[in-house]
Amino acid sequence: MSAIIKFQDVEKYYGDFHALHDINLKINAGETVVLIGPSGSGKSTLLRTINGLEDIQKGKLVVDGMDISSKDTNVNKLRTDVGMVFQHFNLYNNKTILENIMLAPQIVLKRPKDKNREIADELLAKVDLSNQGGKYPAQLSGGQKQRIAIARSLAMDPRVLLFDEPTSALDPEMVGSVLNVMRDIAMNSDMTTLVVTHEMDFAKAVADRVIFMADGKILEDSSTDEFFKRPKTERARQFLSQVEHH
Amino acid sequence: MINIFMQNWQTILNGFWITILSSLIGLGGSLLLGTIFALMELAPNKILKFIGNAFVEFFRNIPLLVITLFFYVVVAKDFKISGFWAGTIGLILYTSAFVAECIRGGINSVDEGQMEGARANGLTYTQAMIHIVLPQGFKLAIPSLGNQFINLVKNSSILSFVAGFDLMYQANVISGANLDPFNTYIIVGIFYLIITGLLSTVMRQIEDRLGKGRLQ
Amino acid sequence: MSKAKLKRMGLFASVILVIILIGGVMLGINARERQNKETDALSQIKQTHVMRWGVKCDTRLFGLISPKTEQSEGFDVDIARAITKQIAKDNHTHIKSEFTPVTTNSKIQLLKNKQVDAVAASMTITPERAKIVDFSKPYFPAGQSILVKKNSGIKNIKDLNNSKSTVIGVMGTTALETTKKFAPKAHLIAMPDNSQAFSALESAQGQAMTTDNAILYGFTQQSNNVEVVGKPFTNQPYGLGVDKGQTQLNNAVNKALAEIIKDGTYNRLIKKWFSNIPGLDWRDLTK
Repeated sequence: MSAIIKFQDVEKYYGDFHALHDINLKINAGETVVLIGPSGSGKSTLLRTINGLEDIQKGKLVVDGMDISSKDTNVNKLRTDVGMVFQHFNLYNNKTILENIMLAPQIVLKRPKDKNREIADELLAKVDLSNQGGKYPAQLSGGQKQRIAIARSLAMDPRVLLFDEPTSALDPEMVGSVLNVMRDIAMNSDMTTLVVTHEMDFAKAVADRVIFMADGKILEDSSTDEFFKRPKTERARQFLSQVEHH
Repeated sequence: MINIFMQNWQTILNGFWITILSSLIGLGGSLLLGTIFALMELAPNKILKFIGNAFVEFFRNIPLLVITLFFYVVVAKDFKISGFWAGTIGLILYTSAFVAECIRGGINSVDEGQMEGARANGLTYTQAMIHIVLPQGFKLAIPSLGNQFINLVKNSSILSFVAGFDLMYQANVISGANLDPFNTYIIVGIFYLIITGLLSTVMRQIEDRLGKGRLQ
Repeated sequence: MSKAKLKRMGLFASVILVIILIGGVMLGINARERQNKETDALSQIKQTHVMRWGVKCDTRLFGLISPKTEQSEGFDVDIARAITKQIAKDNHTHIKSEFTPVTTNSKIQLLKNKQVDAVAASMTITPERAKIVDFSKPYFPAGQSILVKKNSGIKNIKDLNNSKSTVIGVMGTTALETTKKFAPKAHLIAMPDNSQAFSALESAQGQAMTTDNAILYGFTQQSNNVEVVGKPFTNQPYGLGVDKGQTQLNNAVNKALAEIIKDGTYNRLIKKWFSNIPGLDWRDLTK
């Protein structure tokens, strides 16, 4: 298997703050990887470097064959292959649901109108919101918004999909429907997915690999089974006992 | 007072029309120019940013009369430019500096996630600005834009200083002839009220319509 | 309160405001007219020992602010001073002259507002104006002329009688009305004051500037590019103005004017201001 994402000695600073320490990581095409760790551990930052929302100061980061650390790389091109779902959805407030899904394929991929509409309708059905296309984001619940955000990312037909704490801003009763959609994507597609989450049951059920981070460093990188049954580090054991008590 | 209007109604209506025309051109022009300079002020490119800032600071901080006389007296030496256009260009430049500030404020109040979401979705900065951020910024700027447009209508009286044949100019001419400035200016004031009253009603309606549903 | 209700209240309030505004202005006018009848300007001048004159501040030779003294200086100012002195002498008292700058547009208003007792502001005597102010006897024999750029080819007002010509005048003067009679086809534009009209001529907003010859001569002193062409085409002498109904003050002014003409003060002032203007013989102006 070939690596679609490859971190090599990556360092990231915000001013004086050392956000990512010596990151070395390979993600293979089609893998589902969950990043977990206490808040402030750098997992969201790591995720955001993958589509260039955060730049890196040192090291090399190659995504889908493109070297992000190089200035010559066209990030816009990269982002058509790497989708992202945000904690706060970031749906376009001035567009309807259908327009939210169809905008980027239309103006970035120049997808023909009929085809675009067809795909959008399919995706709306997939996230179980078929009759909501004419509404504006403000008219939807949090869970519905997040499913639309996922559909919007899928419409670009990306090779990699990044989820940045997709359920943290949701009311508990909304979480299930979003996780169902994510599970479906992870199981039934050949997309590479990286998920930053605190949903341990989801991680156990879906992830091929778990990466545990703390203080900007990767402390563990192991198969899901191994991580949850035999965590190698004290920090991970501590973290797990805390979240499981929840 | 009614006598004055009956005797001069043609002159007054002519002036009224010129004031409306100048205000409309001023409104369109300053909206366009103001938007361009607001975008330049916010642009990631440092040179564009500098030009945008310099434009806004320059035209915001010199009197409208100076700008107008500059076009009427100085520029007119090389290019034929009438009082109407000198005043209207002055109006556009002056107002666009304030419009730029309103729009910049509006764009700045748009949630950062909107730009981030669009960029992550594959849109370029310019595409994200045009399709997502600017339309939302505009909506947020509408109340303060309304104020600027009312100021613009009132400021259009600058045309009277350069023989632009507007409402104020005609008022000066009429009161110079009938020697009754009080009543003449009251009539003219009422005509200004008609324009600004209409304008605020329209702006409020736009505000109401856009306020519904779409924005949170 | 609902939004619609608020809006209706706002509309209602605006209408009330307009009514109050208009009513207030009306009341103001009435009050002033009443006041006019009550006070006699001459006795007030004698009482306060101050005579307040409105004079120009933008008109070379007649009333132009001097950067050194920050006071208006010119023929009008000197005449006003001489007349004040003469009135004081006639009444065996002392009276100080006080000067307020006025514009062509505001001179009558300031007089009506009683902010000045009299104006000496290069004001042409016209029947229209005579309805609301009382004029003294003429004190300067002005006539309307045109000022053009040198080598313009324009010889007199008739050369401007075509639709390609624009004539620049000053707001609140009679000059543009008169121009309509002599050059009906020309376009007319009015500027707020003399110096702006002159700037407009310099930047070619029009082919000629028209107003009283005396004022135009002032501009030929200031700039070498312009000249006064043709003979004056009107006879529009200047008069000193007092508020309508101030007969006593007007009589005193007329008496003083006659006296300063008689004792040579007038001719001395004419010579002081008009003796070295190209194209103008000051002796034509003496009395």
